[in-house]
Amino acid sequence: MLRVEGVAVAYDGIPILRDVSLEVGRGEAVGVIGPNGAGKTTLLRTIASLVRPQAGSVSWDSLRLDLLSAHQVARRGVVYIPAERELFPQMTVLENLQLGSYPHPSGYPVRLAFIFDLFPRLAERRHQRAGTLSGGEQQMLAIARGVMMQPKLLLLDEPSTGLAPLLVAELYRQLGRLRDEGLTVLLAEQQVPRALEFCRRLYVLENGQVVLAGSPDDLLKNPALKRAYLGIA
Amino acid sequence: MTGRPGLGRVALVLGTGVILALLPGIFGTGIYSLRITTLMLVMIIYTVAFNIIFGHTKQLFLCLGALAGLSAYLSVILMRELKLVPAAAVAVGTLGAGALGALLSYVAARRGLGIIFVGIVTLVVSLIFQNLLLGLRRYTNGETGIVTQGLGFGLAGHTAAAYYVFLVLLVLALWVYQWLMAGRPGLAFGALSEDELTAELAGIDVTRYKVLAATVGSGLIGLAGALFADFNEFISPSIFSLAHVDIVVLIALLLGGMRTLLGPVIGAAAFTLIDELVRPFGQATVLAYGVLLIVLFLAFREGLVPFLRRLTRIPVP
Amino acid sequence: MIGVLLDGLVQGLQLALLGVGITLVYGLGGVLNLAHGQLAVVAGVTTALLIGAGFGRIPSAFLGLLGAGLAGVIIDRTLLLPAYRRRGEERLLLALILTLGLSFGVDGFLAYRYPSVALTLRLPVGAVVLAGVRVRTVSLAVAGLALLAFALLALFLKRTLLGKAVRSIIQNETGASLCGIDVGRTRTLIVGMSGLLAGLAGLSQGLFSNLGPEMGPEFTVLALIVAVVGGVRSLSGTVIAGLLLGLVNAVASFYVGTYLTWILLLLAALLTLLVRPEGLLAYWT
Repeated sequence: MLRVEGVAVAYDGIPILRDVSLEVGRGEAVGVIGPNGAGKTTLLRTIASLVRPQAGSVSWDSLRLDLLSAHQVARRGVVYIPAERELFPQMTVLENLQLGSYPHPSGYPVRLAFIFDLFPRLAERRHQRAGTLSGGEQQMLAIARGVMMQPKLLLLDEPSTGLAPLLVAELYRQLGRLRDEGLTVLLAEQQVPRALEFCRRLYVLENGQVVLAGSPDDLLKNPALKRAYLGIA
Repeated sequence: MTGRPGLGRVALVLGTGVILALLPGIFGTGIYSLRITTLMLVMIIYTVAFNIIFGHTKQLFLCLGALAGLSAYLSVILMRELKLVPAAAVAVGTLGAGALGALLSYVAARRGLGIIFVGIVTLVVSLIFQNLLLGLRRYTNGETGIVTQGLGFGLAGHTAAAYYVFLVLLVLALWVYQWLMAGRPGLAFGALSEDELTAELAGIDVTRYKVLAATVGSGLIGLAGALFADFNEFISPSIFSLAHVDIVVLIALLLGGMRTLLGPVIGAAAFTLIDELVRPFGQATVLAYGVLLIVLFLAFREGLVPFLRRLTRIPVP
Repeated sequence: MIGVLLDGLVQGLQLALLGVGITLVYGLGGVLNLAHGQLAVVAGVTTALLIGAGFGRIPSAFLGLLGAGLAGVIIDRTLLLPAYRRRGEERLLLALILTLGLSFGVDGFLAYRYPSVALTLRLPVGAVVLAGVRVRTVSLAVAGLALLAFALLALFLKRTLLGKAVRSIIQNETGASLCGIDVGRTRTLIVGMSGLLAGLAGLSQGLFSNLGPEMGPEFTVLALIVAVVGGVRSLSGTVIAGLLLGLVNAVASFYVGTYLTWILLLLAALLTLLVRPEGLLAYWT
């Protein structure tokens, strides 16, 4: 279980996150939505320990993540898939996936087979250099590489960014399969309908604060959410 | 720092000149102490120039020795081979150094080279220059160097007169510095060293100002270098090498404080002091330079002037 | 003429050793190590001192190499720490000045403490005849060692997971962290390896002629030239650049003087910087 408590983050004195708290239980798919600049990415980056909070704590099953460095957090199974993907452009799809297995090299062939079953497009292009893939394929590779790491918690940052609607649908289908297999997911999304469909619970972030939380049904009844929603639409 | 220089700054420059003028009186006019103090003045001039080039426009010119050497050798060779009058020879040397600096700056700016690339390019130019000096033995005498006695204005002999000539040059350099920084160029320098793209978008011709800074700085170095050749009675490639000029100036500027008027003065003075203290250790001086550079850059990058500012609450320029 | 060309290729391998060392560290750490040449000298001086103290030549050479590798590790873990705390250009500039200071420091120290310690290694047999050409055994030894080093390096980078991790850091440091790769520790490993490569280049110099403690800056400059021409981010480019420049060096030295040869090499670097900064021969990592 992920526990974020009272986290505050500021860049150069400008507060981005103020007193943010949330929880993600094992096997849950939880979403974070909100307008641009609300702090969704910063929140995820803080959990991944790419950013140090000025206050508050982040823990996974009582292990303090904010005291670890980014690669240690990744090794512990909290895997962050940034919107920028951060792939290795001159390495092949296969090599990128291999590096995903770096923290836990055993069982690699089985996991690889699972990935290729999930993302057949990647299987087709396994010897292609990652830099030459299309946007959608790169996103798939980024997620696939994250899954290779045997994550206990997957942090997805706006996976639909820059993707055509058809590709987004396909991507979410695959993510749904992973979710159904029991993967714990924290998803930050701009495309609110997708998030509402995918997640069991959501938090609404505005100006660095959680203004609303609940199930998709709860949220849809709330006029404040319509505001946040319209803010995006 | 907008508007016209104002009496304050000019007074400061002249005041510094007056204080430095007293040095021969304090330390005596013996050959040794005059040599140390005069060399210090030369170092200050180099450092003021480097302050303009690197401190204010972030152009990491690691070819200061080459610029000085170019001017020195050029003027000496012209006087020796073509029997040019000293004034003309020194002028050519100065212009040569200024031109080289301008060229390097222009090319770097046009190619969009970052600080590091400029550093490496100028380092390479510096080394090419060293090898040219060593290779063109017919004119430069290679490693052995050239004795310059009898050539030039007669600054040789380590006299007080020579000291005051350099002092005048130094006051001139300081005056040029504060004249630049108090006017539009100073504003432009500030903007482009913060963020070149933004400065460009704000209508500042970044290339022009960078080349201006490089030309003025290089010209100053050239002038000082040519006169130094006269004063020193002897020039050789090693005198203008990285270890003798560039690292020393770098240390002096860091020690004194970048982008300040008195920084070069105080920094070079402090360095001269340290140099004198380390002298008895012979070869270990280079070791000391290295350690000093590291320590300074890590722990004390601000420099003495800002430090003094905070200590005394006086806005030392 | 064949002799000159062969010499050039062997020298080229030595240059490639130097260049690859600097390229590795730049690619992994975003740091240009201006004290790289000093690592070569450390290997040489250590070896010479050990031989002088009565140890056998091979163990001394081995320890000398290790010494260079160790020196690299120490530099990475101490001097470069402040640089690693910053990013991008700030890191590069800080490291440049710090390693410049270190280079002067080591150079001054050696001149002060061991001014006359030079390394000269002699092989039992002077020369052999291969395919009708008289080849010096030192050339064979250096070529053999260098090629072995490159082969091992290539295997490491291409085949092992750790090697791929190294390449991944060069391509995307953040991405590598997110894959659970400890960038700092991997970097230390690579800096140590670059020390070993530099040390090998230094020992090669001891085999060819002699390695003096004052040669540090010269090696650094050569390493820089090769790395620049080959592309500071491209390992294969650097190796090719080394070989090419080695040939240029050998041929030019034969026909014109030392200084003009230096100028030619330096001009090659200058041209690359101005015309194609990513390296004339840059290719994939």
